[in-house]
Amino acid sequence: MKIFCVIPAWNEEKKILKVVNEAAQFVDSVVVVDDGSIDKTSQVLQQTKAIVLRHVINRGQGAALQTGNEFALLNGADIVVHFDADGQFLATEIKEMVQPLLNNECDIVFGSRFLGKKSSLPFWKEFIIMPLAHLVNKIILGRTLTDPQGGFRAMNKEALQKITISQRGMAHCSEIIYKAFKYRLRIKEVPITVIYDEFGQSFGGGIRIIKDLLMAKFLD
Amino acid sequence: MLQQYIAIAIIFFFIFRLVSQKRKNQLETNEFLFWFIFWLLAGVTIINLRYIDELVARFGFSSSGINVLLYVAVIILFYLVFRIRLRQEKVEREITKIVKNIAINNK
Repeated sequence: MKIFCVIPAWNEEKKILKVVNEAAQFVDSVVVVDDGSIDKTSQVLQQTKAIVLRHVINRGQGAALQTGNEFALLNGADIVVHFDADGQFLATEIKEMVQPLLNNECDIVFGSRFLGKKSSLPFWKEFIIMPLAHLVNKIILGRTLTDPQGGFRAMNKEALQKITISQRGMAHCSEIIYKAFKYRLRIKEVPITVIYDEFGQSFGGGIRIIKDLLMAKFLD
Repeated sequence: MLQQYIAIAIIFFFIFRLVSQKRKNQLETNEFLFWFIFWLLAGVTIINLRYIDELVARFGFSSSGINVLLYVAVIILFYLVFRIRLRQEKVEREITKIVKNIAINNK
């Protein structure tokens, strides 16, 4: 089984090296999609074995993930892991994310911050933003999971072929959940740890996600 | 009355601009026809404001015809802005596809 880790990165020159080196221990290939960074993200990665794909202009995390997915599929990936470039996730948990796919228990695995493992979520994110995100997912998409906006996930080839990410911004999290249900993929949630040193998604970002999801209703 | 003359002068100006743009081949025929009919209808409406008042009253609206036209115009504008946003989003998606293909093909 060939496992790829796709890491979308935008201006992450300070953290990307550590993230890539750690993730590389648990997968066969690391693909970093430099999403039009204006810092030295791409140059820093030359010290690693990571495959670097470069977006000539910034298109957003969802677009970067789709680029990574397609590249991985073209290069014989059986499993793709989505991992953040900012060091919020623990690379050691990649094993736990991939295991259900290796056991053929499911087609897609979503990491969840709300299934036992303790993540240090800021108060208002846990008690205001997340319940709102659940509500938005349920109203607009009709589906939600215990973690409505998690970015740590793993998919097998079937899921990769079926799910095309068309949300170029942060709304891709909800879109992937929606499409996983829509295509009747076997879904599993795995507890993960998230380390917060910054707030993450802002309130304005949340509004943008709602706007993007609504807009997609008229486009798809 | 003066306001109607001013409005008609403005409409004539736009029709003149439209025709000159069409002559320079800066407009597609469909687009030209859409705007030409739009301004023509606007002109006819301005000339027949009194009838519009009567029509509006017959439908049971309390405000004058020009007010109702304004409300309709605002609704149409909202709709057009929405259409433009949809078109813009489609263009954004096309740009994303191009960027993705460049990234993959350059590897």
